[in-house]
Amino acid sequence: MKAKFIHITLICHLLSITAIAQIGLNPNAITILNTKNDFTAGDTIALRFTLPKGTKPNLYCTNSYGSTLISPSIKNQTLVYTLPKHISNKSGSIYWKLISHETSLSGQFNIRSKPNVASIETYIGPPSVQAGQNDYTMAVVIPTDTLDNPLNTNTKVTVKHQFLDTVVNATVINNNIIAYSNITSKQKSGRILISSEVLGKNSKEFTVDVLPSLPTNFTIGYNQNHSYADGNQITTFFTSTLKDRYGNTVIDGTYVTFFVRNKAGAVLKTFGTTINGVAKSEMLHPSNPESWTVKAFVNGMAESNTITLNYKEAIKTFNVHFSKNNRTITVGPLKSFMKQLIPDGLQVVAFVYKHNTLVHKYNGASKQGLVTFNLKKDLIKNDTYNIKIQVAGLEKTFNAKILW
Amino acid sequence: MVTYNKIILRSILLASYIGVVALIIFGISSVFAYLNTGADRSTLLHTEVKKIDQYLPKVIWEPLNNEGRVMDMQTLNAIEKDYLSALYLKHIAYKNNITIGLDDYYTESARENLYRTIATNNAERIVIEATTLAHHPKLDFFSEDGQLAVITDKNVIEYKRIYKNNVLVFETTEEATYKIVVLLEDGFWRIRHIVAQDIHEHIEKTIETPKINTTIKGINYYPKDTPWDMYTSNFDEHIIAKDFEIIKNAGLNTIRLFVPYKTFGKANLIPEKLEKLQCVLDIAEANKLNVVLTLFDFYGDYSVLNWTLNQRYAETIVSRFKNHKAIYAWDIKNEPDLDFNSRGKTMVIAWLKQMLILIKTIDNNHPVTIGWSSAEAAPILKNYVDFVSFHYYKDIANLATTFNTLKQTITDKPIVISEFGLSSYKGLWNPFGNSPTTQANYHKNVQKILKKNNIPFLSWTLYDYKNIPRAVVGKLPWKRHKQKHYGFIDTDGVKKPSFQFITN
Repeated sequence: MKAKFIHITLICHLLSITAIAQIGLNPNAITILNTKNDFTAGDTIALRFTLPKGTKPNLYCTNSYGSTLISPSIKNQTLVYTLPKHISNKSGSIYWKLISHETSLSGQFNIRSKPNVASIETYIGPPSVQAGQNDYTMAVVIPTDTLDNPLNTNTKVTVKHQFLDTVVNATVINNNIIAYSNITSKQKSGRILISSEVLGKNSKEFTVDVLPSLPTNFTIGYNQNHSYADGNQITTFFTSTLKDRYGNTVIDGTYVTFFVRNKAGAVLKTFGTTINGVAKSEMLHPSNPESWTVKAFVNGMAESNTITLNYKEAIKTFNVHFSKNNRTITVGPLKSFMKQLIPDGLQVVAFVYKHNTLVHKYNGASKQGLVTFNLKKDLIKNDTYNIKIQVAGLEKTFNAKILW
Repeated sequence: MVTYNKIILRSILLASYIGVVALIIFGISSVFAYLNTGADRSTLLHTEVKKIDQYLPKVIWEPLNNEGRVMDMQTLNAIEKDYLSALYLKHIAYKNNITIGLDDYYTESARENLYRTIATNNAERIVIEATTLAHHPKLDFFSEDGQLAVITDKNVIEYKRIYKNNVLVFETTEEATYKIVVLLEDGFWRIRHIVAQDIHEHIEKTIETPKINTTIKGINYYPKDTPWDMYTSNFDEHIIAKDFEIIKNAGLNTIRLFVPYKTFGKANLIPEKLEKLQCVLDIAEANKLNVVLTLFDFYGDYSVLNWTLNQRYAETIVSRFKNHKAIYAWDIKNEPDLDFNSRGKTMVIAWLKQMLILIKTIDNNHPVTIGWSSAEAAPILKNYVDFVSFHYYKDIANLATTFNTLKQTITDKPIVISEFGLSSYKGLWNPFGNSPTTQANYHKNVQKILKKNNIPFLSWTLYDYKNIPRAVVGKLPWKRHKQKHYGFIDTDGVKKPSFQFITN
């Protein structure tokens, strides 16, 4: 057994001697002398090799951003390749290869970023969030060293934020070059101030607005001078203060639509935007007695109660006077609820019928309580007609009027 | 007389007055027009569509499983597009040692790193031609506001040629993994950080050679009236069907066809052209003919920056037809050794090698080859092709020797002569040319040698041609006329005496 062992040892020795001899035989063989494989950015990095007899090869070297060739220098009988600053300053993996026909030497080493922080790039977004602890904003921090290398993975980053009385510090770990932290909105609207700290260095302050959440249902009311359907006064609708479910007044400019449904079922719409939570909108009084039901909406978000408005008739009765061959019809004087002349602009309509067929319709607006229609000969031939006059929901018919 | 002169004088004065006024108005209007021109404000948004495919490496995204915001495809495509543009501009920058365009795709701090490398390389007269061939990106992180993303681009295959003082010193294919931070700035996804995680030499996986049937008895084929122009408006499947029948009835089993690179639409292959090719292959299948499909016909630019486009072209064709029963083999390129002088031998070989590797990864069932123009070039890349093919137009007395010498160099792979022939042109430009009888004798003798040595062959060519595009052999009439008369059938469709020796 022992003899066998000696034999094997001898063979091994012989083999190693041959191997050494082979290296010795090739004077151009180059071997690397560096043992370190881990560097810090900014270090002077030099790769050392044994000096070959023949040509001194260049060294090819590539990093994250680019590649280059490095010419050797000779110091103390060794080949020295000093990496240019633009390579040794950047963190990441480096691959090198000696450009030599005789030897195929290549390798890889790593440059770590410096263990200090020079700048903290912080990206925060979205810049505004909705109140209510559902929405959140994200702070992304890229800490870099003095040579603009992102810091090593697992560096601790503290993301701090303040809201009203609370200050929260969240420690996150740098991973994938960045560190990030989500900052959830609060129930109150207001401002969150955010900053970050890495290795004792602090970033500047950032602001995120917490905006009120969606409005909740609200009530509406109205204001008017009188409730007569005079077609002249204005009714103002207004909302209660619109608030979200946390009691924050909704942001100015929230769009409120007031839907008005009249007796005939037609829909009238008017709009307003909120200021300090209250939206206002106006509507002209009808000229006929009316009953309006009104409801307001913030589209897709909230709605109001329904209110009913009744407009009383302003004109009880009116006179019609025919003159000039019955071709001039004078309506009025139109008198309102206190017997005052109705304000200008009330609509009066005259219909001219021949055997129940409408021949012509005249529209007129009151001026100083009066409306005059002139039935021209070229439109209304000399004949017998039925004439109907409508004023503020009232109407009067005059049958068999002869026009000549 | 005096009045006459006066009139002339007056009209000259008047004309010059009008002229001066016109000039002044023109001048003012030019100034006005100049002041009114300028960059359209909408260009600030970079909304205009200006997509030209310049750089199309293979990009395979890992399934999305990122931290942060959910990624949408539109944004991911925008990131990919800008990332590739950033790489393309980086390659251009290092190739020419210029910085043009980098500011669009790298942030202010990131571009400094490129500038420094460019400055050093410029001072040392180092030029780097590079391209990336494959990317396997994974989205690590996408910020909630959609303005920042972190990508790990894994196993990037990067080919580089490094020149110093205009001499190529080194070429390398590397495999690298990078972590990249991109920021959305001014409508561009700009690179903020690149950190290499790992860079090492790329070692190709060896792919086994498929089984090769070497009983090739074949011919190179172009239609009679549309040589080198088979897939344009003159395409006629009836003519092709008739010709394939002639070939089959003559006892041949293989044809060599050519796919022109530019006509087919380069990287964005034109569907109609592919349909036509499909049609030709279907006819070949119906006639039980095997097809050696030569890609990259009429392409001679091997420059590194175009490789990704070339590869998408090859990928599209090969993946579309790899299951077609008519396909026998892929011939990467016809006579690339003729481009050695003009394009550089190493460049051409590097291009061929990458293309061979690519096609073998897409289709492992069909052999690949290169149609070398001479037996001398044939051993190049012999370890990468599945069978070796070369063209022989020299003295047939040396054919057997040439073949057998080559066989000693290439011991483990079949060798095919994929072109040979003799022109029967005798006329004004070559009064001492060969007659159709000499041509017949030539083929008779060649077939004897081929049979004796059991050599698979593809002859040149079925038809004589009336017209030959200039791009094929140039302008010189003696070359053009010679090229017109290599056929076994003349321009009138009559079989020449050589036709009986079309096979053995």
